Amino acid sequence: MSLKTDNREFGERTADGIGNAFMRSAVSSAQDSLKTRRLTAATALGDWEAWRVVGQTIRQHTLQNLDFYLNQLADNIEAKGGQIYFAATKEEASSYIRDVVVSKQARKIVKSKSMVTEEIEMNKVLLEAGCDLIETDLGEYILQIDDWDPPSHIVAPALHKDRNQIKRVFTEKLGYTGDESPEKLARHAREVLRQKFLEADVGITGCNFAVANMGAINLVTNEGNGDLTAAIPKTQIAVMGMERIVPTMEEMEVLDNLLCRSAVGQKLTSYITVMGPKAAGESDGPEEFHLVVVDNGRSEILGSEFNEALQCIRCGACLNVCPIYRHIGGHAYGSIYPGPIGAVITPLLGGYDDYKELPFASSLCGACTDVCPVKIPLHEQLIMHRQNIVKEKRTGAAERFQMKAAGRLLSSPSMFGKVLRLANPGSRMMSKHGRIVRGPGLIQGWVGVRDLNQPVKQADSFRTWMKERQGGTQQ
Amino acid sequence: MTAISKHNNRESFLNRVASSLGRERAYNVKRPDIKGMIPDSYGTLTSDDLINILKEQCFFIHTQLIESTPELLQKTLDDLIAANGGGPVMTSGDPRFNRYELSIPDSSVWTEASGREGNIRRAEAANTAIIFADYVLAESGTVVIESRPDQGRSLHFLPEHYIAVIEKERIVLRSTQAAADLNRRIEAGEPVGSSINFISGPSNSADIEMQLVVGVHGPLRATYVLI
Repeated sequence: MSLKTDNREFGERTADGIGNAFMRSAVSSAQDSLKTRRLTAATALGDWEAWRVVGQTIRQHTLQNLDFYLNQLADNIEAKGGQIYFAATKEEASSYIRDVVVSKQARKIVKSKSMVTEEIEMNKVLLEAGCDLIETDLGEYILQIDDWDPPSHIVAPALHKDRNQIKRVFTEKLGYTGDESPEKLARHAREVLRQKFLEADVGITGCNFAVANMGAINLVTNEGNGDLTAAIPKTQIAVMGMERIVPTMEEMEVLDNLLCRSAVGQKLTSYITVMGPKAAGESDGPEEFHLVVVDNGRSEILGSEFNEALQCIRCGACLNVCPIYRHIGGHAYGSIYPGPIGAVITPLLGGYDDYKELPFASSLCGACTDVCPVKIPLHEQLIMHRQNIVKEKRTGAAERFQMKAAGRLLSSPSMFGKVLRLANPGSRMMSKHGRIVRGPGLIQGWVGVRDLNQPVKQADSFRTWMKERQGGTQQ
Repeated sequence: MTAISKHNNRESFLNRVASSLGRERAYNVKRPDIKGMIPDSYGTLTSDDLINILKEQCFFIHTQLIESTPELLQKTLDDLIAANGGGPVMTSGDPRFNRYELSIPDSSVWTEASGREGNIRRAEAANTAIIFADYVLAESGTVVIESRPDQGRSLHFLPEHYIAVIEKERIVLRSTQAAADLNRRIEAGEPVGSSINFISGPSNSADIEMQLVVGVHGPLRATYVLI
């Protein structure tokens, strides 16, 4: 999988999502439950707003000194006998990983959840190299055995599937004979994957935060697969976006609390681990440890007007409150990063050519900004994208013409007044029972899904009413 | 690995980062004082308060908490093992097993001498793992342990049932205190384990229809024994 998960046009993708009643009900119930759980956990922490400020302070400080902390991290990892590789592009990252795997003559790979490995198309490269690669996160595993269905949520990747669909896939692909209870499905995955952990030559993990002064990585998980991936195989490769770093465990602890509460409403997830290369005398853990630090476009975001987007800790809270995500679902974004944060970072990582529609997939209600635990001004960044897209004349000719016309109309009081007088008779042909039912351009787009009242007659208008009431001459 | 290390381009990478930030490389950075920014919503707590917070949280993380005493610990563990279908059991080589004069039937111990294969094989075969916690976080119901030659990583993840023995005096309020103490040790140059695990109850997942399943890849059940 790459950043891009769907080659169809945005309109087709959203129509697909809106037409998928099962997905929409799954998403809305997931949103409701995650939203409530987040709120309960955030409230329980006490002064949540103060915690958000601490989170923001940590993330901004680290970003502002990113070269320093990455350098410190590299020194400490090397001092512990680990190896760190800095990859400027996704190709560099995935070929380094392939080279390590090939040099170990490894075929069997277990992997825990990592969004950045999707971004660098690592699975594709390793599968082409003939590796037997298994995703061990339950959600990711379900997607893999269903012929690599793309994820639709950052935290719960198989959110769009119901238990019956999952049971069908397990029956077809794994010879599963049980029923559709989530517990039995999960137990089956446990049995199948336990053997894979024990046989694996290489474990590949993501990294929630690297801890600079320790030369270690922090994984935040619930299932236990991340730790098994790091404990059992003799070689571990961890992959991180270059911005995912903290100075010490003290900052890590704050961000982990914000992350767990925002993502799933837990105080802490079941397993929070700080890990590095196996130390002398210890029996398990990686004898060979590689950390791959990925730029892949991030250095262009750093220091730009979108700098704050790099504060993201991938909790997914913005997805869980977004009314647009609720209706179109994760796949409609066509990116491994969906929802509000996806609409901000996908165009930055993948370019406006492919993703110019995403910043418009927002009502700008700002719910995302309100829940963000590290205070990324998400909806303001979406507006900045929109401004860039308009400036670069990337919106369609018809839309540009309509916007230009509207701009002239709204900036001239006399023209505006004239048009208001004509609005009622002019819209008569398009209206039925006081509602506009069809119209050109943007109007059709609106009335396709929303009511739009027909403008009132001049005699009934607010301006006329006010003039009469005041007996004055105001326009 | 020479072919691979040749590609290492740390300097150019970090120079590009600095240039994005519009400055020269930074070599001396002081981290912000976040300690003063973290709100304290609990006030002063007694040891009993901490135990009560821990008890309440154990309910939410599907973890059984059993109150015992150093004298009763042997019996409590025997009963627990029996209730979970008996052995085999694997324990860490923590000196506290001797200090509390524990003898666990049908058990093996994680030792450096058993090596990678031997330890992992025994942990995989074990029905129950027993360890002693280094720190305990009341708020989140978390036991904190480090990897050591006598306590491997997979010991906490392979057996179906996980028992952590908690000494009352090891309970702190939350992760803030444990992280600060661990970081103090790291900054003082003291050795810490290559894996520091914060474990809060059994493994779980909500990946299927957001319905919580307790017990996925790690332990299916967790029990804390408080002494």
